[in-house]
Amino acid sequence: MSANVDLRVDVGSLTLKNPILTASGTFGYGLEYDDFYDVAELGGICTKGLSLEPRHGNPPDRICETAAGMLNAIGLANVGVEAFCRDKLPILRQRGVTVVANVFATTVDDFVKLAQRVDQEEGVAAIELNVSCPNVDKGGLEFGCDAQAAARVTAACRAVTRLPLWVKMSPEAGDIRGVGLACQEAGADALTAINTIRGLAVDPRTWRARLANRTGGLSGPALKPLALRIVWDLARTVRIPIIGIGGVATAEDAVEFLLAGATAVQVGTANFADPMASKRALDGLADYCRERGMNARDLIGKMR
Amino acid sequence: MIEAQTRRRLYTFPLHRRDSIGSAYHVLTFEANEPIAALPGQFAMVRSTTWGDAPLLPRPMSLLTGGTRPSILIKVVGEGTMRMAYASSGEQFELLAPLGRPWSPLPEGHRAVFVAGGVGVAPLVFLAQALGEARAGGEMPLALYGGRTHADLPLDAELAAVTELRVATEDGSRGTHGRVTVLLEKALDELSGRAIKVYTCGPDPMMAAVARICAERHVACEVSLETPMACGYGVCLGCPVPRRPAGYLYACTEGPCIDAALIDWERGHGVSAGQKARGAS
Repeated sequence: MSANVDLRVDVGSLTLKNPILTASGTFGYGLEYDDFYDVAELGGICTKGLSLEPRHGNPPDRICETAAGMLNAIGLANVGVEAFCRDKLPILRQRGVTVVANVFATTVDDFVKLAQRVDQEEGVAAIELNVSCPNVDKGGLEFGCDAQAAARVTAACRAVTRLPLWVKMSPEAGDIRGVGLACQEAGADALTAINTIRGLAVDPRTWRARLANRTGGLSGPALKPLALRIVWDLARTVRIPIIGIGGVATAEDAVEFLLAGATAVQVGTANFADPMASKRALDGLADYCRERGMNARDLIGKMR
Repeated sequence: MIEAQTRRRLYTFPLHRRDSIGSAYHVLTFEANEPIAALPGQFAMVRSTTWGDAPLLPRPMSLLTGGTRPSILIKVVGEGTMRMAYASSGEQFELLAPLGRPWSPLPEGHRAVFVAGGVGVAPLVFLAQALGEARAGGEMPLALYGGRTHADLPLDAELAAVTELRVATEDGSRGTHGRVTVLLEKALDELSGRAIKVYTCGPDPMMAAVARICAERHVACEVSLETPMACGYGVCLGCPVPRRPAGYLYACTEGPCIDAALIDWERGHGVSAGQKARGAS
């Protein structure tokens, strides 16, 4: 395993044991992977997006495969923040899992309530503000695409919690660097880049969109070049750390993101194709660093 | 009955053999170096290690058998199944298994009636064989098997070996001319007054019709759901099925085998369910 190699990275004041995290919406609440490996080994897990009340989500079909990727319009189905804190978090805490609570709301006030609620709990390492979900009518992209709106959410949450605040960026923001800067000024500790980008698939047999929601968020390997470019842009723009996400499936992918300026990465869609993907990426990164006699920190932003 | 394996695992097995049934159907049998303790009705997420990034996701497939020779029945409908249909012996496959809820046991004193549509026959063959092993003499299950044409009845011989088989085709090329639900109504008339449990797997419109007929006659009915899935174990939330009275249940963890009465068939099953092709001439 990772003997003699230091994989620790600092996301602001938070030190992660390694830079491999799992992406919100691809890892349930962390307990579903129990059969495969000990998720406490990972740098962290981002929960399914939590809302104040439980949500049923969108009607089917919610997913379809596309070229080297997939579209999803899950609609943020989740158990709600209360059930998470009551039923899931104590188990994660007991196991020593680094938990990043991903939260979603349609108003600034509700974001604040969520941040306050999560702030009361032991065992949450950071809060990730989902201001960039493309699959809900209200509160998703309209926050993430607008620098002032994203900053308003960030500042309001900053005022009620001392937990690290990560803001999840939308690739659909016309000026993503402006959004990142605004979030930084509003007190964000890190930026997660990127959320999915809206796509469409049509069934030529039925002439219908393949998803009931019509559009869905594109994820998977198809997204990787775009994600890397945005991470690179943001890393040259803001002072706070970037967590890279978008098509990360292997250790090599993780290394690319670190070199482009990310401090850590999130593995998403790859978890579906292979439930061991995050663990394999972690072990592969340890091998990569060991072979080169370097630590994970040494890779950050070193693209030539 | 074998004990259920509670722990799902990701196995890598070589393909032992591929048997073609006509042009559209294939049975893939894998060579397992350790047995998969799967129960009838459970499924596997199946992916060839040759796929790389495309096809990206594993395909959910009902298991036809478990043990040391796990097998699946596939119908070629898209890129994943097309690649499977050309797979050669020795090709390495990843199977995440066993997944989902199996068929529930046949209650004491009940006659099992199977309603299968096309490729939906696989989990019912598995169940029929298990019931046959458990049955000391007594009645065979009654199997009603429907397809568009005679070519859409793969595994009919396997079913005939362990059930009393009746067949229907929509074009009349074999058995009763019409839909399999015609056979079901006739069978339920014949078995009137008997304790019956219906197990069904096939296209959504067929299962919805079977569920409706069973509900009208107060006959217990269990369905095996089929929906797109990305993960197969409850994290992607991509396989919702409308639940009565509201909300959704997830086919991968609360199904695929589930009481038909829990499903809201009126709210439909996805954008493609029962949709007629447009612009076809």
